Amino acid sequence: MEQKKRSLQAITARVLFIAAIMCIWEYVAKSGMMGRNSALIFPSLEAIGFAFIKNFTSGFAGASLWIYIGNSMKLLFEGLLIGIVLAFVLSGLSMMSSIFYDICNLVISVCDLLPGVALLPVVIIIFGVKPGVIVFLVVHAVLWPMARNVLDGFLAIPNIYIEAGMNMGLKGASLLFGVYLPAATSYIVSGLKVGWARAWRGLISAEMIFGVASCPGIGLFINQMRTNMNNAEMYATLIVIIIIGLLVQYGVLSTIEKCTVKKWGISK
Amino acid sequence: MIEKENCILEIRNMSKVFDADTETEKDVLKNVNLTVSKNEFLCVLGPSGCGKTTLLRCIAGFENYDGSVLINGAERRRPGIDRVMVFQDFNQLFPWKTVEKNIQYPLKINGIHNKEELNNRTREVLAKVKLSGHEKFYPYQLSGGMKQRVAIAKALALKPEIILMDEPFAALDAMTRNELQSELLRISTQEKCTFIFITHNIQEAIVLGTRIIVLAQHGKIIIDEENKITRPVTPASKGYGEMWERMHEALYQ
Ligand SMILES: Nc1ncnc2c1ncn2[C@@H]1O[C@H](COP(=O)(O)OP(=O)(O)O)[C@@H](O)[C@H]1O
Ligand SMILES: [Mg+2]
Repeated sequence: MEQKKRSLQAITARVLFIAAIMCIWEYVAKSGMMGRNSALIFPSLEAIGFAFIKNFTSGFAGASLWIYIGNSMKLLFEGLLIGIVLAFVLSGLSMMSSIFYDICNLVISVCDLLPGVALLPVVIIIFGVKPGVIVFLVVHAVLWPMARNVLDGFLAIPNIYIEAGMNMGLKGASLLFGVYLPAATSYIVSGLKVGWARAWRGLISAEMIFGVASCPGIGLFINQMRTNMNNAEMYATLIVIIIIGLLVQYGVLSTIEKCTVKKWGISK
Repeated sequence: MIEKENCILEIRNMSKVFDADTETEKDVLKNVNLTVSKNEFLCVLGPSGCGKTTLLRCIAGFENYDGSVLINGAERRRPGIDRVMVFQDFNQLFPWKTVEKNIQYPLKINGIHNKEELNNRTREVLAKVKLSGHEKFYPYQLSGGMKQRVAIAKALALKPEIILMDEPFAALDAMTRNELQSELLRISTQEKCTFIFITHNIQEAIVLGTRIIVLAQHGKIIIDEENKITRPVTPASKGYGEMWERMHEALYQ
C-alpha cells in the first residue's frame, strides 16, 4: 500500500513536470520572445506534432522516417550481435588461458577508453564510406564494455558453483554454459545495458557525421532536417530517438532482467 | 581389518601440501591411510584446521595430492558422480534453477533424459528430505535448512556410491540442526549409500555415525572406533557419556 502510494506520487510528479515544460515551451513559442528566429528555435507544439506525423507519412527525399529507422536498426542489431558474440568469445577464451587473459585485459582497457567517433577517419580510410563502417563502430561501442563485464562476471563467480558443477560431471564447454554463463548473468545484463547505451549513441553520431547514402539512417535524417532548417521535424525526430531508447531500455533490457536476475533473487 | 570386497573407499598414503616450495608452505595432510566399508556412516571429528575439509576435498577430487584414492579398487583423481559432495555453504544450489531443476540438472548431464524418470526421482528424493511440494521454489525462497535438504536430495538423486558431507549443518540453528540430524539418520539407514560426514560436534558424530574417527594435526587418526550404541542415540543412551568423554579428551588434548 505504502509502495503503491509512492509510485503514484512519482508518476504524478513526472507527468506534472512534463506538462509544465510543455506549457513553458508553448508560451515561449507563441510569445515570439526569442526574436526573429523564434519559430526556428522554438517551433510550437502543434508544429512539432504535425512534423512528427509528417516524418512518418511523407518523410524526406521520398522515404518515410520508418525506412530510416529500419536502416539504423538493421546496422545496430548487426553490430550488437557481432559485438556480443565477440565479447563472449574473448571472455570465454580468457578463462581458458592466462596469457590470453592478460592480453585481453590490456586490449579491453585500452579500447574501452577510445571513443568510436575518434576512430571514424581511420575506419573510413580503410573501409571507405560503407554501411560496414557504422556496424564497425557499433561493434566497437558494445564489445569492450560487454567483454569487461562478462570477464568480471566470470571472475566473480563463487567457487562453490564451479565445484558443484564439476562434482556433477561438468567440464570445459559444458561448465562454461552450465555454470559460468548463468552465474554471471547479472554482470552480463549490466554489460548489455552499458553496451546498448554506447552503441545507440555511437550509431546516431556516426550517421550524423557521415550519412551512408546506400543505407540512410536516423542520424542522417536528423542532419537533413537541420540543413533544410526543418526545425520542427528535427525536434520530432529527437523525440523518436528518445522513444526508441526508452523502448529498448524498458521494453527489452528490463524484461531480460525481470526474467533472469530479478526472478532468481540475485539482482545486484 | 575390512575384507576387500566390502571396502568401498581406500585412501593410501595421502599427503597434501599447500603452497609447496614457498614461504607459506603448509603440510596439511601427512601420510593418511583410511579404508571405509560399504554402507558405513563415517563421522570425522577433529579440531579446526586439522585438515578435515582438505581430506574431503581430496577424496572428491577437487585438490591435487600425493597418494591415491580408490573407489571399489579403482583409482580416482578427478571429481565424479560416484562421490557427491554436500557443502557447508548454503549457496551450493544454483540460484538460477528451481529446486526441481537443481535436482534434475545433474541427472540430465549424466544421461537421464526421460521426463517421467526425472520427475519420479525428484518426487522421491524430495519426499525423503520432507520437502514435497517445493519443486517450483527458487533457492532464494528457501531457508538455510531447506537449502541443505535440497542439497542432500540432489545428492541422493544421483545414487552415488559415497556422499561426502562437510559440516553441512554447522551453520544451522540448534533446532533445525537436530531436525536435519534425525532425518539424515533415517535416510542413511534406508539408503544403500556410504556417508563420510565431517563435523566438529561430538554429539552429531555419535548420533549419526556407525564409525567415528578423530583427527589431529596433519590428518593423523588418533581415534578410530565403531559406534556400538543402540540407535537412535540420545544423550541418555547407554555408553553415550563415556564415548563423548573419550572423543572430547582426544579433541582437546
Ligand atoms: N587453499 C588453501 N591454501 C592454503 N592453505 C590452505 C588452503 N585450504 C586450507 N588450508 C590450510 O590447511 C589447513 C587445514 O584446513 P582445513 O582442511 O580447511 O581444516 P578443517 O576443515 O579441519 O578446519 C588450515 O591450516 C588451512 O589454513
Ligand atoms: Mg572445514
